[in-house]
Amino acid sequence: MSNWVKRLKHRSRAFYVSVALVIVIIVGFVDYITGWEFSFSVFYLLALGLAAWFVGTRFAFFISVLSVAVSLAGDFAAGEPYSSRFVPWWNASIVLVFYIVVVWLLAGLRKLYEEMEARVEQRTTSLTNEMAERWRLEKELLEISEREQRRIGRDLHDSLGQHLTGTALATQVLKEKLTTRGQPEAADADKIVQLVEEGITISRKIAKGLSPIEMEADGLMQALEELAATSSELFKISCRFECDSPLLIRDAPTSGHLYRIAQEAVSNAVKHGKARNVMIQLESLENGTVLRVKDDGIGIADSFPRSSGMGLHIMAHRASIIGATLTAQREDSGGTTVSCLLRHRDDSEKGPSG
Amino acid sequence: MIQRKVRVGKQKTKIFLVDDHPLVREWLTALIHQQTDLIVCGDAETPAQALDDIARKKPDVAIVDISLKDGSGIELIKNISTLRLPVAVIVLSMHDESLYAERALRAGARGYITKRETAQEVIVAIRQVLEGKLYLSEQLKALFSQKFLEGNAATAGPSIDKLSDRELEVFQLLGQGYETRQIAERLSVSMKTVQTFCVRIKEKLNLATATELLREAIRWHESQQAK
Repeated sequence: MSNWVKRLKHRSRAFYVSVALVIVIIVGFVDYITGWEFSFSVFYLLALGLAAWFVGTRFAFFISVLSVAVSLAGDFAAGEPYSSRFVPWWNASIVLVFYIVVVWLLAGLRKLYEEMEARVEQRTTSLTNEMAERWRLEKELLEISEREQRRIGRDLHDSLGQHLTGTALATQVLKEKLTTRGQPEAADADKIVQLVEEGITISRKIAKGLSPIEMEADGLMQALEELAATSSELFKISCRFECDSPLLIRDAPTSGHLYRIAQEAVSNAVKHGKARNVMIQLESLENGTVLRVKDDGIGIADSFPRSSGMGLHIMAHRASIIGATLTAQREDSGGTTVSCLLRHRDDSEKGPSG
Repeated sequence: MIQRKVRVGKQKTKIFLVDDHPLVREWLTALIHQQTDLIVCGDAETPAQALDDIARKKPDVAIVDISLKDGSGIELIKNISTLRLPVAVIVLSMHDESLYAERALRAGARGYITKRETAQEVIVAIRQVLEGKLYLSEQLKALFSQKFLEGNAATAGPSIDKLSDRELEVFQLLGQGYETRQIAERLSVSMKTVQTFCVRIKEKLNLATATELLREAIRWHESQQAK
């Protein structure tokens, strides 16, 4: 209905003016032919409606008067068997008042309709803007946290690591001085050197956890290999990374998000799915790149957004930010598969044959 | 800082430090000066300054950090090699050995120490390179010998022969930086086929992962270019 109205709206005013006039003429002609006994006032309403809705109130009043005039003229022309000269004029006045009320009602209705449409449009626009803004903010938020993590990681790696190296060196100097003097405390100094060196290792591990991906195109493959290795070690499970042919991702934020999705999926598989075997796969498909995390755990609940909490929600969010789609499903054989499909961006340019 | 005025017999071995962290430079100097026959003849923060000073002061050993203020230690080592400066370079790095050691050694370094083990190993490393040997940590030695045994060390030649023509083509394209999809298009085969080729190449060349496959392909491509 509304589509129909919209389509009609696109015609010009002149079009409706002529249509209304043509209708009045045709109905008037038929009115004349059929004689004075048949009332045609309802058919004039069509012209009236068009005029009121699509052209304007004034023109609608004009059409009302015109219709009444044409109808009256037709009646007079068809002969005048009224008992009183007064009757046709009376009838015409009644019809005219009726028409005017209809026009007035239609005009009011139209105004309401337009107002409502404008309001809906306004709301839709503001809602769309709000959604876009929210999406942008969420994206920015993730990026900020990602960037902060990288920064802290780098600081740990560089500043703290270097500082600890200096400390280890200083202690080593102390140890050697103590050794030269034959002091037994040299052993303590040696112990401190070892402790500081362990500190360097710890800070490196933390730094690695905070910024796991090297800024190179093959960084994601490498990071996922390491993720599989550390997950196996950490959770005491078998976690493998499978990637048949080399896969390069040149956009650093994209590989960052894909890595975090994989990381979250592995941790979900272990924590919620009680999985013993997890497989991370990275594969090039004809239409894009797919990251899959398969496990042999108890499987996720069927309705994923409600039952699985924030984990999957954030994964799906990360996926949407890089323009990928995330699906998580329970396998018939048991276990869960989380897939993230990142379509090639240039697909649309290449067309269906590409 | 300890400055030794006494000269014992012959001239001391000169060491040059390139590191952008003052604390590391200061205590590395102190540690080296504990040795009666070693002296730090200078230090630098940036690769440019380091190259100048090394050319001028002619140290016997340079200890170079990979991440420097205005550039990379690897580039510095390459420049030192290009200029044929008579100095043995030991890399001292915060980074994992697996990541940079091979690149550093290929660039011309004679040793690689992670900062984790600097305090105890740096003097050992200096002595070792002064004897003309390479200095590698136990882990690095294990990594390299494993690679050697797997037959894809520096001389990848013989194992490449095992590849079929089609596999070699895929391997070459990988080395040139093509991605699976592009290789499939170029060879007019499906991506599945390219992936199967990759699996077979990995088996034949004893490469565990796609990352290794890619690095090997790039290395091979570069060595072909060099010829």
